[in-house]
Amino acid sequence: MSTLTKVLIVLLTLSSIFLCGIVVTYVANAENYRKKYLDQKKDYDAAVENKELAEKRENKTIEETGERELKLKSDINTLEIKVDRLTNDLDVAERQKAALIEEAGKWKAITRDFSDTNDKQRQLLEDTLAKLKTIEAEQIKADKELNETTAALREKMAIIDTLEKTSKQLLEEKTDLQNRLDQLLQQAGKIVAAPVSVTPIKEKVRVAPPTVDIGLKGLITTVDLENSLAEISIGAADGVKQNMTFHITRADKFICDIVILDVEPEKAIGTLELMDVTKEQPKAGDNVSTNL
Amino acid sequence: MSPNGQARGKKLTVPDNLYTIILALAFCAVLATAAFVAYQCYTQYGTLFEIP
Repeated sequence: MSTLTKVLIVLLTLSSIFLCGIVVTYVANAENYRKKYLDQKKDYDAAVENKELAEKRENKTIEETGERELKLKSDINTLEIKVDRLTNDLDVAERQKAALIEEAGKWKAITRDFSDTNDKQRQLLEDTLAKLKTIEAEQIKADKELNETTAALREKMAIIDTLEKTSKQLLEEKTDLQNRLDQLLQQAGKIVAAPVSVTPIKEKVRVAPPTVDIGLKGLITTVDLENSLAEISIGAADGVKQNMTFHITRADKFICDIVILDVEPEKAIGTLELMDVTKEQPKAGDNVSTNL
Repeated sequence: MSPNGQARGKKLTVPDNLYTIILALAFCAVLATAAFVAYQCYTQYGTLFEIP
């Protein structure tokens, strides 16, 4: 074997080992592109899916946004209507407020006037109470005087009774004496002349007592034309007395008179007089009065 | 005259078998490299010659 061959063998071996080392190193350190491809493909598929999902979500979101927009527009319209209505209500309320304030002012003035009037009334009441106290004091004083006068009157009435008894006794004695005197004079053929006072008695001029209308008024309750009797609605409690005459009238027309025969506390019965058969007859409901 | 006299006079040389061994070694390295590359290709791409 020649030297050149040997050298070539050695060189070939060295170069082969060197190249093999390089190849092994490269292959050992080379990236796994398939795995990388699969990973990227997986990432790509995932990204595509995410994209589709995102597009779906986007579409859904767009639809929801549209629906929300429509809903919000309808809500805005409703709220605008409400705002208009509330604005109108606010205007009405402000007008009512102004009217109420005005009315409150009126009531305030009325209350002030009422308070003033109340103060005046209270003052008047206090004055009246003071007068009442004065009048009560005067009444007490008058009661005392009345009691004293009543006592004196009773004493005088007792004296008058005593004097009347004495007067009766004197009259009886006078009558007895007169009878005896008449018997004695008749026996002598004489009569007693009327006594004439020696000096005429002059009485003082007195004013006649004033006349006052009785003023009783009532109604006819029952009429008995056959017996000419009638019943009236007032009695002894109202001051009706026996033999009192009442005039029966209807409106402004005179009908007849009624003379009371029997009096009861709440009614009275009397006979009808001055009744003209040719004219109107009395009936229940006609007015009766003591004065025309 | 010793038996080794002839050897003392000769030049020292490497036997040819050594180069055969060197060549075998180189061949083994290349073969191992090819096997390693094939193994890597098969494990990573599932095939040896086709493009996946």
